[in-house]
Amino acid sequence: MFYYSQRLEMKAQVADAFIAKFQLTPDEMNLLRGTKDEPITEDFFKALGRVKQIHDDVKILLRTNQQRAGLEIMEQMALLQETSYERLYRWTQNECRTLTQESCDISPVLAQAMEALQDRPVLYKYTLDEFGTARRSAVVRGFIDALTRGGLGGTPRPIEMHSHDPLRYVGDMLAWLHQATASEKEHLEAMLKLVTIQGVEENIQEVVGHITEGVCRPLKVRIEQVIVAEPGAVLLYKISNLLKFYHHTISGIVGNSAATLLTTIEEMHLLSKKIFFNSLSLHASKLMDKVELPPPDLGPSSALNQTLNLLREVLASHDSSVVPLDARQADFVQVLSCVLDPLLQMCTMSASNLGTADMATFMVNSLYMMKTTLALFEFTDKRLEMLQFQIEAHLDTLINEQASYVLTRAGLSYIYNSVQQHKPEQGPLSNLPSMDSVSLKVAMAQFDRYLSAPDSLLMSQLNFLLSATVKEQIIKQSTELVCRAYSELYAAVMDPSNEYKDPETILHRSPHQVQALLS
Amino acid sequence: MPFSSSGADDAFDYLFKIILIGDSNVGKTCVVHRFKTGQYNEKQQNTIGVDFTVRSMDIDGKKVKIQVWDTAGQERFRTITQSYYRSAHGAILAYDLTRRSTFESIPHWIHEIEKYGAANLVMMLIGNKSDSVDKRQVLFEDACTLAEKHGLLAVLETSAKEAQNIEEVFTLMAKELIARNTLQLHGESPPNSIYLDSRPVIASPSVEKSQCLC
Repeated sequence: MFYYSQRLEMKAQVADAFIAKFQLTPDEMNLLRGTKDEPITEDFFKALGRVKQIHDDVKILLRTNQQRAGLEIMEQMALLQETSYERLYRWTQNECRTLTQESCDISPVLAQAMEALQDRPVLYKYTLDEFGTARRSAVVRGFIDALTRGGLGGTPRPIEMHSHDPLRYVGDMLAWLHQATASEKEHLEAMLKLVTIQGVEENIQEVVGHITEGVCRPLKVRIEQVIVAEPGAVLLYKISNLLKFYHHTISGIVGNSAATLLTTIEEMHLLSKKIFFNSLSLHASKLMDKVELPPPDLGPSSALNQTLNLLREVLASHDSSVVPLDARQADFVQVLSCVLDPLLQMCTMSASNLGTADMATFMVNSLYMMKTTLALFEFTDKRLEMLQFQIEAHLDTLINEQASYVLTRAGLSYIYNSVQQHKPEQGPLSNLPSMDSVSLKVAMAQFDRYLSAPDSLLMSQLNFLLSATVKEQIIKQSTELVCRAYSELYAAVMDPSNEYKDPETILHRSPHQVQALLS
Repeated sequence: MPFSSSGADDAFDYLFKIILIGDSNVGKTCVVHRFKTGQYNEKQQNTIGVDFTVRSMDIDGKKVKIQVWDTAGQERFRTITQSYYRSAHGAILAYDLTRRSTFESIPHWIHEIEKYGAANLVMMLIGNKSDSVDKRQVLFEDACTLAEKHGLLAVLETSAKEAQNIEEVFTLMAKELIARNTLQLHGESPPNSIYLDSRPVIASPSVEKSQCLC
């Protein structure tokens, strides 16, 4: 009897242990089934964990001779799991639907719910969709409020208050979106932080992409308005840089998962850039329509100054721009060719009716202005080199002009030409007309006056040169030409075959002396 | 059990957006980095535009979530950073106490905030790099005078390198914001007159007085 009851007791113990191990308590059952309105709590997840555990453990039974019990429990647990997941899903879905405030508080329970739901990919995905939809409308509303109403009690002020200031307007909108995108990503990270399945990062990006899709339309309409109003080349350029910057910044948050927001920003970037180049081209073509005569001081024309100011402003905002280096360099080439090439053409055209020295001076001045403008900025080396070549070509002209100016004024021009063109069959040089020693002496007296005050024989144009270095270079090199001419003349006069009597009295200065006096 | 309650730090009572501004290389990013991770980065790169950091703090039993928008100090980012002032609740103005010029730009930064920020924005001044006091170029008294003149909340000398006063900066800011928020909720009038004595006083960890409440 005793033995029997002991066996019974043991059986009861085994049965209890079995039930404890393979069945839920009534409390746990209630938690899982719950009623519709009952909130999900911490304990729910514990119970759900138990179901999962039992479902796994019961496999042991299948390997014993208790297969039937095993199968039944397994089915029971599977059913229970389905019911619980469904209840959890309903609750989570509702929870997500309420997250429509601008500031979004992810409760710890929601994060746990997502952790549990990851075992049911379909429910997990639906929940994320629900969350995305709720947040999407929250973000759209938040954006419109920020634009039109501002914060509580009017601070911060509505963004549209500054719509008259295009850069600030666009900048404020994009900054708001940057902040919203970062916050939304943060919410998702908080919500999915317990999820361990693969591809959470992709999930986050996808949902952030969906959330930020709603603001694209209002954003686009507003930025387009700003761009199409043509706020001027410089502003357009700054706006385009700003858009580029935010494309870069926001893609750092949402990745490149083809988020519509990024596409919109990129579109706006391209549009602003297009209108910017249009505006530059328009400016350039206006230059060609109305070519002015160079000013009397042969300095840069007002059109040139104005255009260079524009270029300087563009380049300055370019320099301070926040876009990556290679993109900047590509822009640069385009900006420069868009502005500089027509500018050069304009200068050439307006100089076309001038005399040689005037033209060369005007061109040197204009090119010099372009060069000094560009020299302050990066990526201009090639252009600078080209401008320098062009300056040098005009410098050669000015050097020759200045040298022949000196020779003419000093009365040596005719004499020097005769020396150069003299051929032995013409007989001695001294027999040629106006090449007798008296004529030479008269010319030498004049040349002496030049030697005593070389600065008195400067072409007036040289004083108009903007660059002192350029002016000095012209004086130096033209003086060399004059010295060379004198040396030739000296050699010819000293040459006995030219039959000058006492040549030293005619040309009493040696080429060395002349050179020394002039340097 | 796999279901732990590790998500507890997500729920919050307050969310504050704080903007960090000041000249280039005064150590703004290092301050934020120290605040967020408790670590110090010797070779911090220049910030591009604006960076974003979040941390939750427990202040007098309230969960406070702090979003820090760390701005680039470089001039070229000025137009971009300005746009972040408008939605900020608080601004931390940073200078480098070993470089006088960074302190002298503070009035300029205050002006920027007045121009672009919300009217009730709380401003606070920090003099960073207090680990290099031997190279000090800005007296703490000068900073206090400036703070008082412009009605700033407080001045603290900090060191991101040696983790000095970093936590205090954000705690102080958060407490002030909570106080103002509570007042706003209760609809009480002119904020400036009321909670002068409600300010927390934190003992300065360094020998010299490195905090002043204005």
